[in-house]
Amino acid sequence: MKKSYIITLLLSCGLLGSCGDDFLSIVPETQLSSATFFTKEADFQQAVNAAYVPLRTITNNSGTAGGAWILGEQHSDNTYYVRNPLFGATEQEEDVADFALPEANGVTSNEHVREQYRQDYLIIARTNQILDLIDKVEFGADSKNNIKGQALFLRAYAYFELVRYFGKVPLHLTPVTNRSEAALPLSEEADIYNQIIKDVSEAIPLLPLKSKQEAGRVTSGAARMLLANVYIVQKKWAEAEKLLKEIVASNEYSLIQNYENVFSTSTGNKNNQESVFEVQFLEGSAGLSGNFLYHFIPRDITAAEIVTITGTTNPQPLSGEGYNIPTPDIIAAYEPGDLRKDASIAYITLSNSSRLNKTYPYIKKYAKPHALNNNHGMNWPVYRYSEVLLFLAEALNEQGKSGEAATFLNQVRKRAGLGEASGDLREAIYKERRVELAFENKRWFDLVRTGRAIDVITAYGNRIKANPQAYYYPEGRTPRPHAFSNIKVFYPLPADEAALSPHF
Amino acid sequence: MKNKLLQKTRYWYILPLVLLLLATGAHAQNGNIKGKVTDEQGAGLPGVTVLLKGTTNGTATDGTGNYSLNVPGGSGTLVVSFIGYQTKEVAINNQSTINITLAPDAKALEEVVVVGYGSQLKKEVTGAVQTVSAKEIKDIPVSQITQKLQGRVAGVQINQATGKPGQGMSVRIRGQLSVSGGSDPLYVVDGFPITGGIGALNPDEIEDISILKDAASTALYGSRAANGVVLITTKRGKMGQTNVSVSAFGGVQQVPEKGRIDMLDAVEFATFKKEYYEAEGKPVPEVFQNPAQYEGKNNDWYDALLRTAPIQSYNLTVTSNKDRVNTALVLGVFEQQGVVLNNKYQRFSGRLNTDYTVSDKVKVGLNIAPSYIFDNTPRTDGDRGTGILFNALHTWPIMPIYDANGELTKSNTLPANTGNIYTYPNWVRAAEELVNENKITNLLSNAYLEYRPIKDLVLKSTINIELYNNKFFFFNPSTATSSINVTIPTTAVSIRENFSNTTWLNENLATYSKTFNEDHNFELLGGFTNQRFRTDRTRIQADTYADDRLPTVQGGLNINRGGTNSGVDEWALTSLLSRLTYNYKGKYLFTASIRSDGSSRFGSNNRWGTFPSASVGWVVSDENFMQNFSKLNFAKLRASYGVTGNNNIGNYTQYALVNNTINAAFGGNVVPGAAVTSLANSNLGWETTKQFDIGMDLGLFEDRVQFMYDYYNKTTTNLLYSVQVPQEAGFGNFNDNIGEINFWGHEFAVTSRNTEGKLKWTTNANISFNRNKVVALAEGINRVYGTYHITRVGEPFGQFYGLIKEGLYMNEEDLRTSPQVPGRSTVGSIKLRDVNGDGIITNGGDQDDRTIIGNPFPDFTYGITNNLSYGKFDFSIVGSGAHGNELLVRHLYSTANLDGVFNMVDAVKYRFRSPENPGKGKFGTTVGGGNVTGIERDWMSTHFLEDASYFTIKNITLGYTFGAVNRFFKSARIYGSVQQAYVFTKYTGGPNPETSGNTAGNGDGGNLSQGIDLSNYPVPRTFTLGVNVNF
Repeated sequence: MKKSYIITLLLSCGLLGSCGDDFLSIVPETQLSSATFFTKEADFQQAVNAAYVPLRTITNNSGTAGGAWILGEQHSDNTYYVRNPLFGATEQEEDVADFALPEANGVTSNEHVREQYRQDYLIIARTNQILDLIDKVEFGADSKNNIKGQALFLRAYAYFELVRYFGKVPLHLTPVTNRSEAALPLSEEADIYNQIIKDVSEAIPLLPLKSKQEAGRVTSGAARMLLANVYIVQKKWAEAEKLLKEIVASNEYSLIQNYENVFSTSTGNKNNQESVFEVQFLEGSAGLSGNFLYHFIPRDITAAEIVTITGTTNPQPLSGEGYNIPTPDIIAAYEPGDLRKDASIAYITLSNSSRLNKTYPYIKKYAKPHALNNNHGMNWPVYRYSEVLLFLAEALNEQGKSGEAATFLNQVRKRAGLGEASGDLREAIYKERRVELAFENKRWFDLVRTGRAIDVITAYGNRIKANPQAYYYPEGRTPRPHAFSNIKVFYPLPADEAALSPHF
Repeated sequence: MKNKLLQKTRYWYILPLVLLLLATGAHAQNGNIKGKVTDEQGAGLPGVTVLLKGTTNGTATDGTGNYSLNVPGGSGTLVVSFIGYQTKEVAINNQSTINITLAPDAKALEEVVVVGYGSQLKKEVTGAVQTVSAKEIKDIPVSQITQKLQGRVAGVQINQATGKPGQGMSVRIRGQLSVSGGSDPLYVVDGFPITGGIGALNPDEIEDISILKDAASTALYGSRAANGVVLITTKRGKMGQTNVSVSAFGGVQQVPEKGRIDMLDAVEFATFKKEYYEAEGKPVPEVFQNPAQYEGKNNDWYDALLRTAPIQSYNLTVTSNKDRVNTALVLGVFEQQGVVLNNKYQRFSGRLNTDYTVSDKVKVGLNIAPSYIFDNTPRTDGDRGTGILFNALHTWPIMPIYDANGELTKSNTLPANTGNIYTYPNWVRAAEELVNENKITNLLSNAYLEYRPIKDLVLKSTINIELYNNKFFFFNPSTATSSINVTIPTTAVSIRENFSNTTWLNENLATYSKTFNEDHNFELLGGFTNQRFRTDRTRIQADTYADDRLPTVQGGLNINRGGTNSGVDEWALTSLLSRLTYNYKGKYLFTASIRSDGSSRFGSNNRWGTFPSASVGWVVSDENFMQNFSKLNFAKLRASYGVTGNNNIGNYTQYALVNNTINAAFGGNVVPGAAVTSLANSNLGWETTKQFDIGMDLGLFEDRVQFMYDYYNKTTTNLLYSVQVPQEAGFGNFNDNIGEINFWGHEFAVTSRNTEGKLKWTTNANISFNRNKVVALAEGINRVYGTYHITRVGEPFGQFYGLIKEGLYMNEEDLRTSPQVPGRSTVGSIKLRDVNGDGIITNGGDQDDRTIIGNPFPDFTYGITNNLSYGKFDFSIVGSGAHGNELLVRHLYSTANLDGVFNMVDAVKYRFRSPENPGKGKFGTTVGGGNVTGIERDWMSTHFLEDASYFTIKNITLGYTFGAVNRFFKSARIYGSVQQAYVFTKYTGGPNPETSGNTAGNGDGGNLSQGIDLSNYPVPRTFTLGVNVNF
């Protein structure tokens, strides 16, 4: 008896299967893990979908995440903010708009700078994963090319943002698999541009035309436009001209006659004939909605006032500061008779305002009625056909082909109700870009690439300091003493990242 | 290859078992002696060892105390021994029937200590083990056993972070802290390491508690032992006795006025606002123009949430140990209503422990303990916006709680020009109308079969099962909300979440104990165990109810997809263990143990961990040369070293997970998206703690004074940490075993019977000093920032980190000559120290002016208990305290927001107004708005820190015992007690200096960011009357 007991005791290990590694191998039952993912076409399809997602965060900016309009538009003479002295914790936005970023040893603690950087690298990591694994899995060539093309475009787009915001950044081209691979040294700008050009050039033949692609995804046209943009930054005018002319010749795009109808509504007019690439939002509870419009509304605003902009069934009052408010400078930049002015900018009077006339301009381009408060579906334009035409005009003009250049410029002017351009054509193109593409996060990049950023912003700062009330400061309020003290063409790198990287 | 090697090394564990098998030899017998062994009352004692002296010839008594033994020749001496009784030797002298009466060994009874996988005489224990018997703590009127232990045990810091009934106890043994793994000790109930915490356990079921502190005591629990082990033994019958007792207490609880945060009342608040606008040179909004109008119209929102609440408890205990059956039955009902409105905690519990001695070789037993807990707790605790107590604190006192009709208001908001930036709901409604309840059913059971093939060998196999089911229900009706800025009526939301946990454990143990040549005492333990845990979770969130009275799932118009989900969590643990105990004459003591754990949580390259330990003891007082020191009746020196682990690293942390809900929209359609959201680490393993302990136990004046001292030094390495990686990688963190933390400390405990005789007075006191230092973090990382903390190599971890407040800029001269925050500092604003000496004040990055500014850990913790009895009266007073720790008064970022957007602490009346009227220096000027006031409010500095040293009189009890009243009542006792009687502290940040909230966020692990006072649920003072009757 006792022997059998002990034998049972010893055997139970084997019989229960309890001592072996099988007993100890427990994989997550309710979550996918990397071991089983990336094995079939649908996995890569889902992976590329997820690679678009950070673009929503970047263009929308909810809370401290993202901030293309903070870094690209409000960081220029096009827009400013409505100072609300009763409301604290606004330095993060003000420091960018005021050119007063706290900076030490080439890094800044600003959250918007940090989130822009991180979101771009999120796109890069997701696309690296796809590009690393997709050729190891067999599936249909059309689908595979399409996914690869999208991934290459998105990676290039993210690096293009990074290189223009920061200059030198780390260049990750393969997925990070452990901690030691996480930080890379800063790469030279030229190397990053070379990689962008390589990626987009590879993407162009892989991607279908817009008419053949699912609406909202990147296309061969979008890729050509991205590459043309890169060449324009590099002043490779002939290369840009070739690509832009291919877009025109593709007959995939045309101008919408009424400028007001160019921009998507909350539920419709998305990816229309003029749209080359736009960031996709979806109104409703799926978690894909935007709320950028709400950041652009001057405050404090009552429910009765806000409903005139948003048209929702459940308007809520907003306090705090309003951002991305058109400056007097951009308002003055529209020529008399420019139809785009009233389509881009409107005014609202706020009963609770501490400003003398209580009236503020706001961006009207995106102010489309929608169903629910703080939840809208307007897409964000990245590239439009009118910019294709303006780039083409610029590329031609810079090569001395001013006659041909003017024809493309005038197509855009004609739609705006304006006559042919006069005076210096280069200046005319710059001016046209400013008003045509106002509030589309183009202004800061344009100022930098054309070498005018320091001069223009310094003058702009002086105007604000000389007349704060014209720039929406309440009576008696002045800009902070350190406003416009840190005007540079590149943003400092994020301090939180510097703290974790041995390389900067 | 590595795996094979590991497996090979495991085989040696089988050795002890084989040895034990070999040791079971048979032997021939003739010449029969029989008889009965009884106790002094004449009841038969089963299981008594009867041994022919100097031989291995022996037997044990059967269930009624009878024995029979073959003794060749009929001569020699019988040695009759039984745990708890004095060993007796009887000469045989050719008798054939020998009846023996054993006298109880009172001293030995007291001194048996439950240790891991067995028990030991206290005298022979070589590890750092402290015991608490249920008797000592029976009068403490609280819901949880850990509350009862406050102040009792050296080296164990037990804090009540929140006063919520049934919740919020933090137990830290020897300051052990894991960076991100759990830091709670392992609770083992009747040999079963439970998974559900011990909140569900009725304290009245407990007989005694052993707290294992050093690695030699805990190493047999291997990869779960690093935080220390608490062994709980539940009640059993006393040999030969049947006892029935009933205990009951009832009382009331209330929050003392002392310690509450002193806030502005309505008049003072309106005055502040009036002065604020005047100082700004702005028109004063109408509501503030005449503060006197609020005279008698104050709304104390915090007080409105509190009430005086009852507490009651009833227990019936029946124990019996007769005729082979030992049974204990405990039935309990406990109800504590909270001092916050609509808060109730109820527990119904039962336990039946039964041991059945089948024969002298076989014993079986079954413990079964079901319980049911109902708990409804309003969302009281949390930061601004989440905890209604914090929310209530800063709500404007001019906002009415009741409207003109005496109804509770729905919500309050004032025009934006008054500076009111939030809509405040009525917090009384938030407490009363929101449902936030848990219904927990719990079943804890152990079954065992014990077989004694030969006298010295015990084989024991156990099956333990723990079932835990929690039905959580939350309902937010349309009429109330616990959040700021939600207008009423709001969208009604319901959440149902069911957790179902199942744990089973099988243990197979063999214990062989043998004494050779009288003086060499050996015990060898070997065994293997398997444990598996699984939890299934389902959550359904619905909203938009047409009718608040029907909060069903189908009643909601919308099912919230993000809030509706299910999950499974599972782990498995397989272990081999062995221990050798040897002592020579009970004087030289030696113990060695080893456990090997294989865990599903560890990465595939690192599946098995081995945890050895060894300890020695020397009972110096047994040496001849000590006989001259007659005052010192007992002295023992102990030393131990061992390795333990912490496997609280999450179940699937080693895997890279794919999130497949990162969706996108194309052409107006939702399309699914997926991305890898974490990095895999197949090397991931347990945290390792190597601990050295040296200690001594002294008994003076015939044990009138007993003294214990321990010094420990331990090093924890391979800490599980989600190491931040630069997000250029596309990931924020990498789960890895990193770093090294050194802990050391001293523990002293003394028990003194100060007077004996009619007045008996006993004092127990203990004091502990715990220290730690970070030796290393991850490669390339020498510091980890939290929002308010830093963990830095060379410093204790989780230190408060921020700027040093010098005061305020008192005038233009001061401002001009002092370092400033560029563009922000003004006269009257906060003046901070320029630590880096660059002439300006900066906050952020590695090169700024922040430095370590405080320590959330105490210099020492202590406890003192005095018990007095005089005749039939007894009196006890228990206190516990901590000294030298600081708390971050987190609510000040709202309640001292000088922009006047919230109600404020009373002390802002003494703020800076002008160089001529500078106030008391704590609070700066209101002028300049957020650009100026934001520095004081938003930048972490010494402004927010306060010394939180305290000493709390935890309990005072006065009792009176009636003797045997008649033949039914053996005894009865009545008593009155005050729990949380008084808190001695200079801390002004809130009512509970024991609190320690932590914030979640970037770089904030729970343990890296301790010592934050979020103004949690206050701990009430409780007055109770109780009665114990024994039948």
